[in-house]
Amino acid sequence: MASLLQPDRVVYLVRGEKKIRAPLSQLYFCRYCSELRSLECVSHEVDSHYCPSCLENMPSAEAKLKKNRCANCFDCPCCMHTLSTRATNIPAPLPDDPTKTAMKKAYYLACGFCRWTSRDVGMADKSVASGGWQEPENPHTQRINKLIEYYQQLAHREKQERDRKKMARRRQCMPLAFSQHTIHVVEKYGLGTRLQRQRPGAPLSSLAGLSLKEGEDQKEITIEPAQALDEVEPLPEDCYTRPINLPEVTTLRQRLLQPDFQPAGASQLHPRHKHLLMKRSLRCRKCEHNLSKPEFNPTSIKFKIQLVAVSYIPEVRIMSIPNLRNGKESQVLLTLTNPVENITRVSLTSCEENDPDEINSTAKVLVPSKELLLAGKDAAAEYDELAEPQDFQDDPDVVAFRKSNKIGFFIKVIPQKEEDTDVTVSFKIRHDFRNLAGPIRPSEEGADTAAEAIWLTHHVELRLGPLAS
Amino acid sequence: MIEWLNGASHRTSSFTMADKQNAQKSVKIATGAVVCVESEIRGDVTIGARTVVHPKARIIAEAGPIVIGEGNLIEEQALIINSYPENIIPDSEVEPKTMTIGINNVFEVGCVSQALKIGDNNVIESKADVGRNVILTSGCIIGAFCQVNTCEVIPENTVIYGSGCMRRVQTERPQPQTLQLDFLMKILPNYHHLKKTVKAGHAAS
Repeated sequence: MASLLQPDRVVYLVRGEKKIRAPLSQLYFCRYCSELRSLECVSHEVDSHYCPSCLENMPSAEAKLKKNRCANCFDCPCCMHTLSTRATNIPAPLPDDPTKTAMKKAYYLACGFCRWTSRDVGMADKSVASGGWQEPENPHTQRINKLIEYYQQLAHREKQERDRKKMARRRQCMPLAFSQHTIHVVEKYGLGTRLQRQRPGAPLSSLAGLSLKEGEDQKEITIEPAQALDEVEPLPEDCYTRPINLPEVTTLRQRLLQPDFQPAGASQLHPRHKHLLMKRSLRCRKCEHNLSKPEFNPTSIKFKIQLVAVSYIPEVRIMSIPNLRNGKESQVLLTLTNPVENITRVSLTSCEENDPDEINSTAKVLVPSKELLLAGKDAAAEYDELAEPQDFQDDPDVVAFRKSNKIGFFIKVIPQKEEDTDVTVSFKIRHDFRNLAGPIRPSEEGADTAAEAIWLTHHVELRLGPLAS
Repeated sequence: MIEWLNGASHRTSSFTMADKQNAQKSVKIATGAVVCVESEIRGDVTIGARTVVHPKARIIAEAGPIVIGEGNLIEEQALIINSYPENIIPDSEVEPKTMTIGINNVFEVGCVSQALKIGDNNVIESKADVGRNVILTSGCIIGAFCQVNTCEVIPENTVIYGSGCMRRVQTERPQPQTLQLDFLMKILPNYHHLKKTVKAGHAAS
């Protein structure tokens, strides 16, 4: 029954700006605020850019210059796979002696998945293995660049006026620092920070950071407005009678991946440089501590800081479900795993009558009233044969089995509704959490003080599956 | 009495049919072909010169003979089968249809091919499934894990790829795998026993 182990069966409630229910494996735990955080209540920041095929790191400024594309790698315009360079030997006349021919290496790009080659669009073979391939020039680049400059100037002017107004109103925060911080934040992070989001009516504020420095004399850039034409190019005469050559027509996806040209024919699909991916770090919005910070090296998958919820909060998993019948009480076997190294005490309570969090449950649940003890996670336990098994007095009605840091326990479920939907139950789990990351205060009682234990409560919802027919 | 006579005549006719079938049910391997002993070849199969059949490849001719041309590469666990449609053996004797495979084709690992007519220079990639009513012309590439069981003639130089079996036409046909074939013909005899070559057209007496 591997479907019982699916992550979305057991969800934990995150009390943030929005109430989000997510499995524990997708949540983070801020140990400074002692609260669960989901991806929606943290701020995402770009750490570094890298190319997914050549794994080359690129500083953010360079990435912006190259429009977030790798210089060496190409994408197949047909199937978006990575293109590889292949070599063939072609006879070419020697430069010294035109009559003799020698074998020279010629390189072309080919896709291993859909067998597209650069020769299909008429690109000539190059004599160098890398660096010889050019993307076609967009005929409208000049006009676009001019427009961008003009609007950058406009945005900068708007931002300056707004900052001046804020300074005049004498807000609590430091005015100059505020505007500097705005520039710094906008420039580095772009859209997505709190400051940006609190100004919903602000257009083009993202471009403001990219413009020239304050105080520098800017010459006025004027643009000619676009002119509307009366006459449009007529359709070709055989538009309705010409039979369609289906392999030649590009799909929408292929067309829109090249917004500069949007070619309608497959013979104009040129390869583009590969998009860079980025590594992001997550930051708790309340206490501004980092929750997740990956390593800088693109080849490394480890993290410098990794505060994921599964390593702090005990995890509930469904082990076996009997046949559930409406109105009849059945016993469901759940497991609780302790991720930390010290003994954790867990107590479960069913939700009250008018609990605002309980919106999804379709069954009544009776949880064990006694407190459950979970042994600490001991990595060396399996190798240590001399260790005495810890003796916990387990009530066999409640605890089914115990295995190192995991216990299996029963809950009683009484489905209330006769509908076709899944039976969902929810309860509150309360456990003690020792914050080992807190500041080490010089203790008066000696070196024996463990960190203070605080009790955390989480709301857990389980999806048990449909009623047995 | 009449029934007994009819039964006897029926038996004699079936005897000669079985004899004919036995005569045809032989594997004819041309000289120069490399066919490993671990491959399973059943029925009336003709294999051309310079063809390499890897161990664990299966060529099964149930509903008719199979004729394989020259320079083909049939890799491990490939299945080339000429079977009755939907495995229903017809009650009456149906005319056996010959499956022809041209030259320089590649049947990659784990593919299943039931197409009755395959031209030259085609590539059937790993775990692809080609149905009985498909006719491959030349230069076609059936991508990995693509299942093609339509009733059509695939035009030349078509590439079928992707989970949705997208198609496109390539400008040049895939190159014949001469280098790979030469290498295999040298190396395979070092590690496997080969089936004996029989000249095609040699009547099995």
